[in-house]
Amino acid sequence: MHGLGQILLQNRSGVLDAWLARLRDTAPGAQPASLQLLKLELGTLVEKLTAYFLAGDGDGAGPAFKSVEEQAATISAACARDGLTPMETATLILSLKTIAGELLDRETSAKATELYRMRTALDAGVDRLALITFAAFVETREEIIKRQGRALLDLATPALPIWRHIILMPLVGVIDTQRARQVMEWLLEALAREEAHIAILDVTGVPLIDSRVALHLTKTVEAARLLGSRVIVTGISPDAAQTLVKLDVDLSSMITRGTLRAGLAEAFRLLGRHPKDPIETSL
Amino acid sequence: MSREPDVVQPDAVTVTVTTEIDVAEARQEARRLALRHGFGTVRAHGLATAVSELAMNLVLHTARGGQIRLTAQDAAEAAVIELVAEDDGPGIPDLARAMEDGFSTRGGLGCGLAGTRRLVDTFAITSRVGEGTRIVCLVRRP
Ligand SMILES: Nc1ncnc2c1ncn2[C@@H]1O[C@H](COP(=O)(O)OP(=O)(O)OP(=O)(O)O)[C@@H](O)[C@H]1O
Ligand SMILES: [Mg+2]
Repeated sequence: MHGLGQILLQNRSGVLDAWLARLRDTAPGAQPASLQLLKLELGTLVEKLTAYFLAGDGDGAGPAFKSVEEQAATISAACARDGLTPMETATLILSLKTIAGELLDRETSAKATELYRMRTALDAGVDRLALITFAAFVETREEIIKRQGRALLDLATPALPIWRHIILMPLVGVIDTQRARQVMEWLLEALAREEAHIAILDVTGVPLIDSRVALHLTKTVEAARLLGSRVIVTGISPDAAQTLVKLDVDLSSMITRGTLRAGLAEAFRLLGRHPKDPIETSL
Repeated sequence: MSREPDVVQPDAVTVTVTTEIDVAEARQEARRLALRHGFGTVRAHGLATAVSELAMNLVLHTARGGQIRLTAQDAAEAAVIELVAEDDGPGIPDLARAMEDGFSTRGGLGCGLAGTRRLVDTFAITSRVGEGTRIVCLVRRP
């Protein structure tokens, strides 16, 4: 496919310009900064593709194509991060077929059979790129989603030392098994670290308490008790309270209060002191 | 102006449940469906909890999960939501025991099935060992 390589080599800037014009059409929402970066990456792809066609017979094998593949994966990861859809990304890569195809029709004086062979090689190459791009795109997205999941997990469960011997842990969002385990771990850790006697677990931000969540709460309360601490659960909504009664889960092992304020009052009562005690205000 | 028909087309949602994320989705759907058909927030919360229990059982007690189907039907001044949880899992050998408060084969509180029965207006369960389990509940308004 030396001929195809030559044509690409002589027209690389034209190909790149046409491609960039398409990029603006396929992804009208893309940020200028990311367009700038994509421009560089697409330029590199055109170069590598040219080298590949110059070097071999265009059968999609060998180190030259490997390097093309890697570049395509880089581009698609960039597209995924910039929020392009898989459709837009694939369209972008596939549009190279049209651009280079038109170029071939215009620039070559080769015989029809030769032209046909070039087009077939071009199509096969770009089609493979599109597949690779798609796979790389999905991979990047999944990685992003996983990272976001981990970030949420980290963010959502701070243990705040709000008073001497009292920590507050506001839970926000769905408590699944993994979260529940983490909440328990962090709560116990924070109790030990802050030398706290009381933990207030506020569930105002938890949409629903079923028997599984109740089980996790109970376990947490029991584990805290082994450390010599008490847990006060606050923020169970009136809707949830009525449902819990019907479910008949046994919450007798834990102290519950409707509001955070009532929970705090209970905490002070348990500690046997008043929030205005001088030693506390000096903290 | 045409008169409102007494009975309109049922409003149905199906969620395939295999992981905990599906459980969260199923109960959100349940809550939305209930509110959409004029149920109060307490009833909507109760239905969502029933869905949560049955869906979580699909995750915990079957290998391949199952389906939660919700169908709402409005009538004049009333509405009914049917909740079906179905799986082709191991089945329940002793239904009477499984329905008892505090019975659990997986270290749970064991109040999922019994609690669900108390949360809904009608509760029916059929199960065959080696074939699967099917639970049908109805929740009515007003
Ligand atoms: N879909 C199902 N397939 C097979 N077995 C089930 C199914 N649903 C429930 N069971 C059995 O019935 C028992 C009781 O279920 P139930 O939901 O009441 O309690 P649990 O799931 O064990 O605990 P909890 O719901 O309180 O967290 C389960 O432990 C399990 O053995
Ligand atoms: Mg259960």
